[in-house]
Amino acid sequence: MNKPLENRPQSSRPVIDAGGDDARREFLRNFLAGTATATVLMVFGPGVAALAQGGSDSAPAGASGKAAPKHQFAYVINVNNCIGCGNCVRACKRENQVPSAVFRTWVERYVVTGEGMYVESPNGALEGFSQVNAGIREKATKSFTVPKMCNHCENPPCVQVCPVGATFKTKEGFVLVDPEHCLGCAYCVQACPYGARFINPVTHKSDKCTWCYHRVKNGKLPACVTVCPNKARLFGDLNDPESEVTQIFKDEAWMVLKPGMHTDPTCFYVGMPREVV
Amino acid sequence: MAAPSPRSHLYRLLLILVVFGAGFLAVKQWATPDSWNYEHWYRGDAVVEAAAQPLVYGGNDSCKTCHKDVAKLWRKKPHRKVACETCHGPIVDHAKAGKKTAVAFIDKTRAQCLNCHLEGINRPRAFPQFSKQGEIGKLVPKHKELDAVTPCAKCHEAHDPRP
Repeated sequence: MNKPLENRPQSSRPVIDAGGDDARREFLRNFLAGTATATVLMVFGPGVAALAQGGSDSAPAGASGKAAPKHQFAYVINVNNCIGCGNCVRACKRENQVPSAVFRTWVERYVVTGEGMYVESPNGALEGFSQVNAGIREKATKSFTVPKMCNHCENPPCVQVCPVGATFKTKEGFVLVDPEHCLGCAYCVQACPYGARFINPVTHKSDKCTWCYHRVKNGKLPACVTVCPNKARLFGDLNDPESEVTQIFKDEAWMVLKPGMHTDPTCFYVGMPREVV
Repeated sequence: MAAPSPRSHLYRLLLILVVFGAGFLAVKQWATPDSWNYEHWYRGDAVVEAAAQPLVYGGNDSCKTCHKDVAKLWRKKPHRKVACETCHGPIVDHAKAGKKTAVAFIDKTRAQCLNCHLEGINRPRAFPQFSKQGEIGKLVPKHKELDAVTPCAKCHEAHDPRP
């Protein structure tokens, strides 16, 4: 009756047999002790090392390392002012040579009706929006356009998942991609909760909004902010009390996209209706 | 012939570990970029290269260096929020190093104005909006006589579009 079991290759389940039992127990005990020791060392090792180094030197060094950067940039999108003209999308394409069918920034139109909501972004609103179908228009209770882009999160999931350190956050708040170092594995594309990243069909590397890093470093505003005709897009330095973005925070209620994701975006939305996802 | 050392298997293992360790360090040294930022974990030269990307749009200040008269007109309400390059396209198509290279772009048809001012349910109520035919006869009696193609710019100076 037991024969099939005896012939079976040894499974991972422990088999009780008198002979090797003690040896195995000892081995397991040693093995577990070793694992526990290694875990303790891994968790507390660096801390212990830092404490040992510590003393009078460590505190000032830490303080200077975390010195506030000169600029702390932020982006503000005022949904109340967006007219959905698509100038920002066109300017971004031109400034950054973004290939067709992919977008670093795009505009979404929401049409809310009693029966549900229509959300669309035809070709990223590159040519603006056509008129809403008459049937939907009759039922619409409200409608608005919302520009979307990389949120340059304080806690960016795309940076966490990059296996080679090709995407990073600078001290001034830019989340950038290093195209030289990027493998094009697209982990970051999947990690971004805002869908702001894509694989560039020309370079086959990860691509996204850079807040026009090259322009800001040359004292200019990002291209989309430059051409926005109705001040729906603002960009500025939070360390500068006179900048437009700092002014907005004084009296406007603001929101971020998907606060539940705890990404802590530095792209703030003013006047964002609750329907926006 | 002397008997082999009883620990020779250990020495061999040690040798293999040392060779592998040295090989790993050599490959790591070779694969890590010179400018690697160990504090923030990225290639330091990447930000320098990103900042070197050529500019396409120049912003209003670059236009004002030559077009002071237009800038003065434009500064009046209500088009002061609209940048030059919003309608005229990027400055690289027009000038280089302060010298004109080509005539600046402008679409003088009604389409240019209607890009922003075409009536749409998504646009803010307070924003001035017109239907395709310019049918705002109720508000502006003159518009009643309009045909479908007469450009807005025929009567309205785009830099200062007050009626």
